[in-house]
Amino acid sequence: MKAVEIARKDLKIEFRAKGTLNLMILFALMTSMMFSVSIPLSLAKKIAPSLLWLVFLFVGVLGYGRAFLREVELETLEGLKISPVAPTSVLIGKILYNLVLMILMEAIILPIFIGLFNLDVANPILMVLSVTLGNVGFVIVVSSLSILVVKSKMREMLLPVLTFPVVFPIITSTILAIRKSMGGDLEGILSPLALIVGFSIIMFVVACLTFEYAFTD
Amino acid sequence: MKVVELRDVVKKFGSFKALDGINLSIERGESLALLGPNGAGKTTVVKLISGLLKPTKGDVRVFDRIPWKNYEVRRLMGVVSHNTFLYDDLTAYENLQFYCRLYDTDESVIDEILELFGLKNRKHDLVRNFSRGMKQRLSIARAILHDPPLLILDEPTAGLDVEGRRDLIGYIAEICKEKTIIFTTHNVREAEELCDKFAIICNGKLVYFGDVKGDLERVYLRVVGYESG
Repeated sequence: MKAVEIARKDLKIEFRAKGTLNLMILFALMTSMMFSVSIPLSLAKKIAPSLLWLVFLFVGVLGYGRAFLREVELETLEGLKISPVAPTSVLIGKILYNLVLMILMEAIILPIFIGLFNLDVANPILMVLSVTLGNVGFVIVVSSLSILVVKSKMREMLLPVLTFPVVFPIITSTILAIRKSMGGDLEGILSPLALIVGFSIIMFVVACLTFEYAFTD
Repeated sequence: MKVVELRDVVKKFGSFKALDGINLSIERGESLALLGPNGAGKTTVVKLISGLLKPTKGDVRVFDRIPWKNYEVRRLMGVVSHNTFLYDDLTAYENLQFYCRLYDTDESVIDEILELFGLKNRKHDLVRNFSRGMKQRLSIARAILHDPPLLILDEPTAGLDVEGRRDLIGYIAEICKEKTIIFTTHNVREAEELCDKFAIICNGKLVYFGDVKGDLERVYLRVVGYESG
């Protein structure tokens, strides 16, 4: 329940200040527009899954890492550290907060992206499922890695450097799953989805087991 | 009963030895002032006691428990630092409500505490609109929400003007009567006003521990001057 309180507090601050969410939406819209203007539609339809994921990737690194960075900038992280809250609850709270941001992003960006590229999606439910599962895994990785860079002066640059190699299996599997969902390939989508779920669970367990070391001293 | 005990504590940051063999104990109901020049190691002692840091060597106990391992012992302490640990985009009430929930404390105490610190009429204002003095008062309110028996005050008057300092010391004196206090400061007069025991740290070493009142400034200047060469 402490995790929920932490997420609720972060959401209250975010919806009041709207710094991160506005930045994420603006960046996502700009990149989608630029892609739609500069890439021919015939080609874009073929590479749409990669382009879509590229948008989520940049926006995610920009936004999800802010959950911990904001605590550092406000000098409130120590307030959480001295409270009787297990470090894993803090991590889960930040993941929950980022998941809400992610759902909002998806709800806004996905229809706009499909509209801009005039994409034919054979199975929209599977497409939403693929994007969501990929994003959940991505949120878990970014949320848990961002605590490692908060003390660094180069944190904005370090986070992508640390994140991209770790998140690579999720990126490739999600792109594959989105492509299969667009083609309506129900059988072919199972293995990339299973890989995303399996990888996300492993990353979550590893993050919970190691987070305490990163969070304290 | 010993509330806080440090035995042969050494804390290193890389090759730098911030604390070198500190031995210190505080009994229930005592108030201890930790004095020392900038960089002496006062805040490191406070961070070790509050569980923010692990000692490199030695043993730190709070209520006979190891603070950096035991999250539950943190319910028994309230920490006020020069950082307020408050969220600028939440109101005073929302900040206290958040910490109440983290400490599983009944939220009905919030109004009473805001009243005590003269902030009740500003409870729905965002903290970003508060003055430094008001933020620091709210920070003390945050620290005592869960009625901890141990209160750690790490330079709470830093950055305040003379009037702000005087007001804050008054509030602290009011709430400290039945608590065990650790108070770090450079200001000898503030220390004498609030505390009955004094420890002077210089270059990471405990150079004085005693209860001399009235003459503390002279003692401080002598030991700190001597230690600094």
